[in-house]
Amino acid sequence: MKKILLIAGVVILLGLIIFIPGKKWASEHVNYNTAINDHPLMCTNCHLHIHKKSPFAKLDDADYYSPMNIAVSNDGILIYVTAQDGNALLVADTEQGKVVKKVTVGNKPHSVIIDKAGKKAYVSNQWSDNVSVVDLDNYKVTDTLRTGNGPAGLSLSSDEKFLYVVNSFSSDLTIIDLESGIERKRLTTGNNPTGAQLSPDGEELYVTSRRANTAHYGESMFSDLTIINDSSKRIKAYLGVQSAYLMENVAFTPSGDLAIVTLVRPKNMVPSIQVERGFMMTHGFGVLERKGDGRIIQLLTDEPNAYYPDPFDIVITPDGKRAFISNSGVNFITVVDIDSVRKLISGSTPEMLSLWSDHLGISSRYVIKRIPTGANPKGLALSPDGKTLFVAERLEDRISVFSTDNMETLKTINLGGPRKITVTRKGRKLLNNAGHTFQNQYSCYTCHPDEHEDGLVYNMASIDMGRNLTNTQSLRDISDTPPFKWNGKNQTVFKQDGMRFSTVLTRTEPFSYKNLDAISSYILTGIKYPPNLLFNPSGKLTEAQNRGKIVFERTKDNFGKEIPEKNRCVTCHPAPYFTNLKQFDVSTLAASDDSIAFDTPHLNNIYASPPYLHDGRAKTLEEIWTLYGKDDRHGLTSDMTKNDLNDLVEFLKSLRSPDYVNK
Amino acid sequence: MSSSLLLVTCRKGSMEGMIIFTRASIKSGIPDYVTGNSWRYLMQSSLAAFDPENPDRMPESLTGNFFSACSPEISSDCKWMLFAGQQKQGDPWQIWGMNLDTRKVTQITSASENSTDPAFLPDGRILFTRSIENDSLKSGHALFTCNANGTNLTRITFNPHVYFASSVLLDGRVIAISKQVFPQIGNPVMMVMRPDGTKSELFYKGNDGVELFSRGRETSDGKIFFVESDNSGGNKKSIVSVNYNRPLHTRINLTSSVPGVFYSVFPLEPGKLLVSYSPSGSDSCALYDFDTEKRTLGKQLFSSSDYSVLEAVVVREHEKPKKLPSEVDTEVKTGLLFCQNITVSGLTSPENNYSMPVAYSIEIIGIDSSLGVVEVKEDGSFYLKLSADMPFKIKTMDSEGNTLNGPGSWIWIRPNERRGCVGCHEDHEMVPANRFALAVRNQPVSIPVHTAGIREKEVELE
Repeated sequence: MKKILLIAGVVILLGLIIFIPGKKWASEHVNYNTAINDHPLMCTNCHLHIHKKSPFAKLDDADYYSPMNIAVSNDGILIYVTAQDGNALLVADTEQGKVVKKVTVGNKPHSVIIDKAGKKAYVSNQWSDNVSVVDLDNYKVTDTLRTGNGPAGLSLSSDEKFLYVVNSFSSDLTIIDLESGIERKRLTTGNNPTGAQLSPDGEELYVTSRRANTAHYGESMFSDLTIINDSSKRIKAYLGVQSAYLMENVAFTPSGDLAIVTLVRPKNMVPSIQVERGFMMTHGFGVLERKGDGRIIQLLTDEPNAYYPDPFDIVITPDGKRAFISNSGVNFITVVDIDSVRKLISGSTPEMLSLWSDHLGISSRYVIKRIPTGANPKGLALSPDGKTLFVAERLEDRISVFSTDNMETLKTINLGGPRKITVTRKGRKLLNNAGHTFQNQYSCYTCHPDEHEDGLVYNMASIDMGRNLTNTQSLRDISDTPPFKWNGKNQTVFKQDGMRFSTVLTRTEPFSYKNLDAISSYILTGIKYPPNLLFNPSGKLTEAQNRGKIVFERTKDNFGKEIPEKNRCVTCHPAPYFTNLKQFDVSTLAASDDSIAFDTPHLNNIYASPPYLHDGRAKTLEEIWTLYGKDDRHGLTSDMTKNDLNDLVEFLKSLRSPDYVNK
Repeated sequence: MSSSLLLVTCRKGSMEGMIIFTRASIKSGIPDYVTGNSWRYLMQSSLAAFDPENPDRMPESLTGNFFSACSPEISSDCKWMLFAGQQKQGDPWQIWGMNLDTRKVTQITSASENSTDPAFLPDGRILFTRSIENDSLKSGHALFTCNANGTNLTRITFNPHVYFASSVLLDGRVIAISKQVFPQIGNPVMMVMRPDGTKSELFYKGNDGVELFSRGRETSDGKIFFVESDNSGGNKKSIVSVNYNRPLHTRINLTSSVPGVFYSVFPLEPGKLLVSYSPSGSDSCALYDFDTEKRTLGKQLFSSSDYSVLEAVVVREHEKPKKLPSEVDTEVKTGLLFCQNITVSGLTSPENNYSMPVAYSIEIIGIDSSLGVVEVKEDGSFYLKLSADMPFKIKTMDSEGNTLNGPGSWIWIRPNERRGCVGCHEDHEMVPANRFALAVRNQPVSIPVHTAGIREKEVELE
């Protein structure tokens, strides 16, 4: 008995010796990583879900479908749904209310269209740079057509002899001869194009752009709507839509007199000092009058105390009376009365229309209903008679079906994805939902579309307004590259999205601990880079890229002189993420910057992230050293020839995620 | 802060589902909307709890030991009640808290000035109105917050307005009836602001001559209900609703066809309100339910011939508003104000082709004197660093110094607050254009000029 008591006493004493300092250490560890003092001490909250290669990550994983876009059969019975994460085209019977076929297509299918006869479906595979042609009689992939980089929106030509494919990553349009299956033409479009729609008269193809044309901070921003002549297959016009971006999709009224695009009107040039009064983002649509001078009128769908962010798709009923817009950031469909829009436009002077584009109350004149949906409504499709609206609820793995007459839910079609919601999936829903910003004004997606960056520079209003301009950074594949923020002050994502985030950005209640853990889990494990198929599809570098690699890794300049270690590219940008995770002053401080060193950014897929440097002053990679960096403090380049620089840039453009190395 | 404990009754037990109301004399005097007398301060009033499941049972007196007690408010977990009360005749009104299970009462405030209209803030602090004697800001009644035990008293409004009948919206902001009292008495409006007093802005404005009478109550379907008098000079008070999404333009009078006087509203289930109502205005008020869809008065729930039943609240759990972060730092003595374009104005119309004469400068006007004249930039923008917690107005002037617009409403900036305006006296539904204003490309202009010499802590927000 004495022995037992003695052993018990020793164990308790040892336990206290370990527990007390252990708890102290654990508290310090958690406080440091979360930047708050009261996060619960649960190891599993963080460590179970933040390591992408851990066995727990695999256990917690689930194969969701994530429906993106929809096409409807001619008889309205079948719908065809691109399953973005399922790499499949799902065929669902709307009467039975279930999936009846699953067709494996390429990587990250984006859009689907069907031909007039209803015999073939075309599916754009955004991460495999091709289009799958699916026979709708036997649901087999009969052909795979090569496209440009990042195929997204699709349209058939009016004679259905050609397929138009919008290449979102290479910012161009592939025109494929369907008889031969060969690309006949490549046309340059606006920046990061996505949506495509042929006008009802078959004369013009409209292509929307998500990113604005690169411009210096302070210059007016424009995003292009590209118009292509269908018969000549030539560019007819680039229409600059001012102060707008994220123009995801476009639809025409049945008469073709109006084209309506979804869009976001950012306030990146306004100091980010408040969210009230639309100081960060507003959302709406643009109305292009095709007759007349082709002016574009922008109108908001927001209200003074409620915002409807991330408008994605738009469809217009066959009678031309109503437009349905999916607001993917707040889980609503906004219903717009088009006659009211026409009346407003015809009754307004140009000065008034200019006012209305920044007026939150004007939506009351034409928004007639908001239909609640499941998580992250994306693609929309109408039945041929226009009486039924299908909505792809991407993060619900479900299609909702609504009546366009009474705008009530008719049914939902479960696509058969996993029932459980993993921590990472929950985090993805949070990232795509504006519920954690004041009055739902914007979601993480709004500035980080597809978890990347929006190409804009913001006035984050640090100590004073107008100072510390900040180039949005990508969220892709950042788990191994802390710290975060351009000044490297956030050592973890938990801190980045924690209390300070709510104080200076979202301006509402911070994430709960559970939600913070979930969104951190998603950011740290769930966001991958697309393969760099544009510049480095196979890992085999071109000659220019190889030469550029030599330049990148050189230790001696062109005169044979030793380059100081701190001036070598590879010192601060070593593989595999091309960052040494440290902060430096590379002579890029602007007069409006506080005196800080900048965190070395990672460079994978850098070709897809203009503009460059912390304040986005370099529109291209080349400008980093031709307009700036001439003092050799951002790498020794003054001895380089133009060819050397060109090769260096080619090498930089070839950089890609280590996930694809050896694949 | 001293506190005293009063054990009112020893009865324990949950009060969930009960209705607590203020009992007041039928003839309680003409309401004074500046001093709050006979309106927010109801002399010899008391609080009682009524059980709607047992309507024949006499209401339980909750504040028998108080000379006056009114303005009840229930916490979101329905365990606590706040109210305003005088223990003895002539005492200043204080804020009190009651544990609804034990009925134990705790004094929260202890000051020589009157306090009333308490409300629970989502961070656990208390919001209330307090009168201020000899106030250099000429405010009369300002909004304050404090901890639940009365410590850490913080004033949050700093303009010459009175503030009464505050409540908290689900988005976490405070909403209160506000009326200018200096240099002249103005029309009442509903103002919203964050619980730290930042980002104050107009929420609702009635027609000229109306009085806003009761706390605004938000329902789960996004409406705010309150009582508003009409401007006919008579005694009629109606229930009005506005939509949270667009409050300035969605006013609906729900009881224009119902004769009599409404005193207060409180949400019941969706589509129903608990209202205090008198058919004639001279008779006592009784409790009724009201159908907001049909706009009809429902059944009478409780009445008394001895007193009016006012300010009823239901003891039940309800959604807790969002807890908003604060940018206020009291070690910082100033705040920043940015206006994008002073020519953007609500005074524009189709008649003047939506444009205003170009303004060249602004004058910042304090309570007693001018605080400075500042030239605006060519694009109409200005950027100021102002002393915190100091009320001011702004007027715009042409190149000759003639007034073009304003002075507008009183504004204040809290320590370390950064505040933005789209224009000057602009349409409240306008958002800023997306452009890089000239004014913020330079340092702010300090107002008054002596603030330029203040050495203060610099706070980095991002």
